[in-house]
Amino acid sequence: MAEKTVTIEIKRQASPDASAIWERFELPWRPGMNVISAMMEIAANPVTVDGKETTPITYDSNCLEEICGSCAMRINGKARMACSALVDNLEQPIKLEPLSKFPLVRDLQVDRSVLFENLKAVKAWVPIDGTYDLGAGPTQFPQQQEVNYPLSNCISCTCCMEVCPQFNEETGFVGAATIAQVKLFNNHPTGKVLKEERLRALAGDGGVQECGFAQNCVEVCPKQLPLTNAISDISRDVMVQKVKDLIRS
Amino acid sequence: MATTHQPAPTVRPGVQPLRAGKGNSFFFRKLHSLLGIIPIGAFLLEHILSNFEALKGPLAYGEQVRFLNSLPLVRVLEWAFIFLPILYHACYGVYIWIRGKSNVVYYPWAGNWMYMAQRWTGLFAIAYIGYHVATQRFMGADLPEHPGMAFAKVQNELHNPLILAFYIVAMIAICWHFAYGVWLFAAKWGITPGVKSRKRFGYVCAAAGIVICFMGLASIWAFISPKYADAPIDALAPAAVSQLHAPALTNR
Repeated sequence: MAEKTVTIEIKRQASPDASAIWERFELPWRPGMNVISAMMEIAANPVTVDGKETTPITYDSNCLEEICGSCAMRINGKARMACSALVDNLEQPIKLEPLSKFPLVRDLQVDRSVLFENLKAVKAWVPIDGTYDLGAGPTQFPQQQEVNYPLSNCISCTCCMEVCPQFNEETGFVGAATIAQVKLFNNHPTGKVLKEERLRALAGDGGVQECGFAQNCVEVCPKQLPLTNAISDISRDVMVQKVKDLIRS
Repeated sequence: MATTHQPAPTVRPGVQPLRAGKGNSFFFRKLHSLLGIIPIGAFLLEHILSNFEALKGPLAYGEQVRFLNSLPLVRVLEWAFIFLPILYHACYGVYIWIRGKSNVVYYPWAGNWMYMAQRWTGLFAIAYIGYHVATQRFMGADLPEHPGMAFAKVQNELHNPLILAFYIVAMIAICWHFAYGVWLFAAKWGITPGVKSRKRFGYVCAAAGIVICFMGLASIWAFISPKYADAPIDALAPAAVSQLHAPALTNR
């Protein structure tokens, strides 16, 4: 009986300036296989389906349990996490491509530092540094925790940005992930000290106003963050902040 | 020996980060959004209601046109609340469109389709409104001076089946654009921040959009229906009024 196999086509690019080529691999099927485990097997034996020896695939991954956010890529055309993409649920040949909206490093690896820059630009943190011991933070009530916890699940995978029609070089849109983190830290009893600064930051060019509400972000989010709710809430808060600033200045 | 040489800063390709607090795009985008509701949306409702008078015939329609043209500072109102807002909404809308990159081919989800539909209907609306304002407001019979000629002017226009089709498609496109635009406004101004509230409001907008669309299509029907096929050139001219609507006048 013929052995069951898995066919994977990978878009490869040796460097940011090199031209892209497709390579096809065939691996023996194993139960519970996912895209990352398949690429580990390719790394162990980097030979294409034509028998040509090649280099192992470069890709980001770490936790293999959809919690680190590293392994986002386009699988059969759609952005998703490779570790939770089970081979048995995918149409073959499985086509793997790097995310399209971030500078390519090599093969499936891209530079997603724009998200980190955006999080810094909106001060997505709780300021606790002082010249003296600030003591314990205020209590968060369970009701508040229930609103905040889903927002804290963001793994910075950038899938929401990849699928957003507004996230591109023309708009320089900040993307849903950052807006959701603004909501999270504005809700935080200590973090809200920076609320006004965050809202003013989000009214800058590329801010929350660039959202076209296509709602792809919330559809694709692997952690089911309530991204459209956050965009709606934060848009209102930004507007209120701008009006306040206008009449108080 | 250590050097102080630093590599020239490289401009990173890709999407640039947020320009925190910088620029005026927030104001211009929100102005675009607000103008779509007030005054443009409000005007659309007025226009559809006024056109609905056509179902009562040339005289009622002419009187409605005369009433609108008798409003104080009507030319100022027309420019400040209709032409200039629509012009801005159209120009900025095209600007929004050309900067967005639709990916509905890869992500064929409902919201993504409507994102694209909002852009196409907007473009169609620009083409239609440009044509409609040029031909009905600025060319041919001067309706502000002769409001009674309104019915015949529109009727004459809709005699051409191609133009009639253009009007019907434009009516549907504009009602869609308005109804979905109201929904988007509520979502993006934080009026409907919940999934359920957006869903419920979606039904409200869809129902309202269908109602105004049918009202608009009914008005178009009034102009092409055989009932008013012999409408006078000027329904408010003394001769036409006495000939066609003498009983109505004596009843007053």
